[in-house]
Amino acid sequence: MTTPLRVAHYINQFFAGIGGEEQAGVGVSFRDGAVGPGRALATAFGDAATVVGTIVCGDNFAAEQPDDAQRAIASHLGDVKPDVLVAGPAFASGRYGLACAHACLTATRLGVPAVTAMHRDNPGATSFRKSVLIVPTGESAMSMPAALEHVTRLATKLGRREPLNPAEVEGYLPQGNRRVWDRGRPGWERALDMLLAKLHGRPFVTEVPYNAPEKVEPARPIADLTRAKIAMITTGGLVRKGNPDRQVSANATRYHRHSVRDLEQLTPEGWEAFHAGYFNHIVNRNPNYILPLSFLRDLEKHGRIGGVHEYMYALPGVSTPVAVATGLGQAIARDLSTAGVDGCLLVAT
Amino acid sequence: MISAIYEFALTTGANRVVRGSRIEHVCGDPGLGPEKDYAYGMRIVTTALDALTTAVSGPTLFDPVHGASTAELARV
Repeated sequence: MTTPLRVAHYINQFFAGIGGEEQAGVGVSFRDGAVGPGRALATAFGDAATVVGTIVCGDNFAAEQPDDAQRAIASHLGDVKPDVLVAGPAFASGRYGLACAHACLTATRLGVPAVTAMHRDNPGATSFRKSVLIVPTGESAMSMPAALEHVTRLATKLGRREPLNPAEVEGYLPQGNRRVWDRGRPGWERALDMLLAKLHGRPFVTEVPYNAPEKVEPARPIADLTRAKIAMITTGGLVRKGNPDRQVSANATRYHRHSVRDLEQLTPEGWEAFHAGYFNHIVNRNPNYILPLSFLRDLEKHGRIGGVHEYMYALPGVSTPVAVATGLGQAIARDLSTAGVDGCLLVAT
Repeated sequence: MISAIYEFALTTGANRVVRGSRIEHVCGDPGLGPEKDYAYGMRIVTTALDALTTAVSGPTLFDPVHGASTAELARV
């Protein structure tokens, strides 16, 4: 039989029995053996591991004096030299969840594998699940038994330095890592099984999770177009001729803002398209196809719109991850809002 | 948003989607000859501006060719 692993357990002031919120400012302390829920943790480990010591820290101390807290935690970990650290479970407690995540990061930096557990919406999870191994739990300590069973299973693997399977197998929160992995059956078989299940109304698990598109509150309509300032954005990869700004042709990490204040239209002498996702030649002959400046100037001259905003925004949309595009879009929107723009035309190729 | 791939555009969270011409020339069509090309592009742009003055409650398609505002599409 293998030697039981040495486990260190991190908990907060409440679970250590020191007190509630009024004691959240207590610093870091150490106790031999298991404390509070650590006893249930020890039981859940069975023969596989022993909880050799418990590190306790007030949630506010961890949040407000992070350097001192982590230094003390690191010191105790150095004394105890555990095979693995288990932090929490923190369930829905936000400060506790963040503190657990930080404790795990400290342990990892010292070469001690670590795992924590909390609700998937806990700020500790949303902020750190990519860098910290997190087991999802229910919202309250009512789900303690299931949480402990799950976390001890993973902690045992970590302590034995066994490789972990993907998140969907081991049940921890996905970390966004992609590794080539053999599912053991050809894709067409798995696809047909999934289709049959779907047709028969049986449950099935997708291999490619679908993220439903966001629902956006529609902007109120413009009351008077003749007084409205209209801006333009294009994801068609419009660049100044020769691309002096070195805009990329795909996978944008930034957008480019250009002044059109003195321009009546976009000309092929001044502009071109640099976009890896479509045939650029037609836009090169008439850039207004993807940024309709000529049309808006015409309407502006005839008083149909109040005016054209002096800046337009351009980037190549192709191969730009949604997460990146979201940030870029928000930044452009902030710019437009600050500039008092009333409406915007976004041309997407 | 003005896009030739309007079905997809309606699933992105954009609430006012205007049907564009083609990916390579969203606001117009060089195959129509200069005058009709410009008129088509202008039709697309004015449809877009009309969309900006129209109240919507979710993703809505505005088709410059087949009439002003077509039926609002249910969320995907």
